Amino acid sequence: MIFMGPLRIEVRTASWFAALGEPLTDGDRAEAKIYADTDEVQLVTSWPDAERFLKSPATLDWWEREETLRKELLARAEARHPERAFWTALTELTTEAGDLVHGKAATAAARMTGAAPASIHVAAGAASQAVYQLGVARMAGETASLFESKFRLFAAGRWPLGVAGSRLVLF
Amino acid sequence: MTDIVVKTVEELKSAPEEYREAVSKLVISHAINELYGAQVFDEPAIALAPNPYAKWLTCRVAMEEYGHHVRFKGLGTQIGIPEERMVPGPGKKPLSIFEFPLKTWEEFVAIKLLADLAEILQVEDLLHCTFHPLRNLARATMPEERFHAQFGEDFSAELVKTPEGKARLQAAVDEYWPYLPKFFGGSKSKNNEIFRKWKIKQRTNDEMREDFVKRATEVAAKYGLTLPEVRQAA
Repeated sequence: MIFMGPLRIEVRTASWFAALGEPLTDGDRAEAKIYADTDEVQLVTSWPDAERFLKSPATLDWWEREETLRKELLARAEARHPERAFWTALTELTTEAGDLVHGKAATAAARMTGAAPASIHVAAGAASQAVYQLGVARMAGETASLFESKFRLFAAGRWPLGVAGSRLVLF
Repeated sequence: MTDIVVKTVEELKSAPEEYREAVSKLVISHAINELYGAQVFDEPAIALAPNPYAKWLTCRVAMEEYGHHVRFKGLGTQIGIPEERMVPGPGKKPLSIFEFPLKTWEEFVAIKLLADLAEILQVEDLLHCTFHPLRNLARATMPEERFHAQFGEDFSAELVKTPEGKARLQAAVDEYWPYLPKFFGGSKSKNNEIFRKWKIKQRTNDEMREDFVKRATEVAAKYGLTLPEVRQAA
């Protein structure tokens, strides 16, 4: 049995999508610096603008970097735990998180208006991926990965949409 | 036909053995195929998706498919099916479509457009199931299955905007379509006969297959696509 209790509590108590479009705080900027290694943060303030950015990004380099890191951590995590227990724990974590963040994304979309119905699923996919990535990192024994700061941005109600050049785009 | 309604997992314990076995077979089949689908198609498709919007949408779809597996497995556990019978493994032959690994984004879109329609029909058939925990699970699953099929339609609409995209999507439809009608099982399936006897399922495999071909032909036509059999018959 793999103990994922602390992360499950963090997932349940996070302020998913509660600060979308709100002015940036010093805390957001500090977290963005840790996550994307940049001082430059571009704020997106509406769902249609977020959708436009996500559908035509300048580059997917940041995505590929995260994928490389995820695969590395996944290999380490798999080596540390029995296969069945590892995948069961990860599936349970992400399934529980998926339903929670989907509801939170729907609430945020209803509050702000203008979101395409599919975008609620997109937001839920992004948040669930962040939980999954952090779950893998923690199970690999890694407590200082960029997935920690990515999760903290989500937990603070933000949605990191991606990196364009030297800018982190934050909703 | 045999009239029986089983409202709870507890009540299932006193249902006839044939009924209990039929329910178990169906739950095992759904648990395994949902997991295969997520592993073989949905998860690899995340890397093939063209932009973050499509990637995260695919992430969510993959999670929902895993979630369906978890739901069916959860029900299976409640009714006493050992966990190892509800996950892919030695001695369990997957549906033939799962033997063809995904290579392109267009293939994934074609699968969502057509294979998820087949899934919808399978789940629809359980909406009036006499075993109510399974009926309720089908009802919970249905909106997500409909969304997945809509995903296939939305991205098909995007792809057919260019002649190149439409050609690639048509090629994917041509490749995968021949495997889909087999989803519905054999014409003289003994299992299906038992499912219908107890009103666990409502329709014969052939009735479902016929309905699927009709609905798939209609949905493909919306995007200017044709299905191989339809072309041959024309």
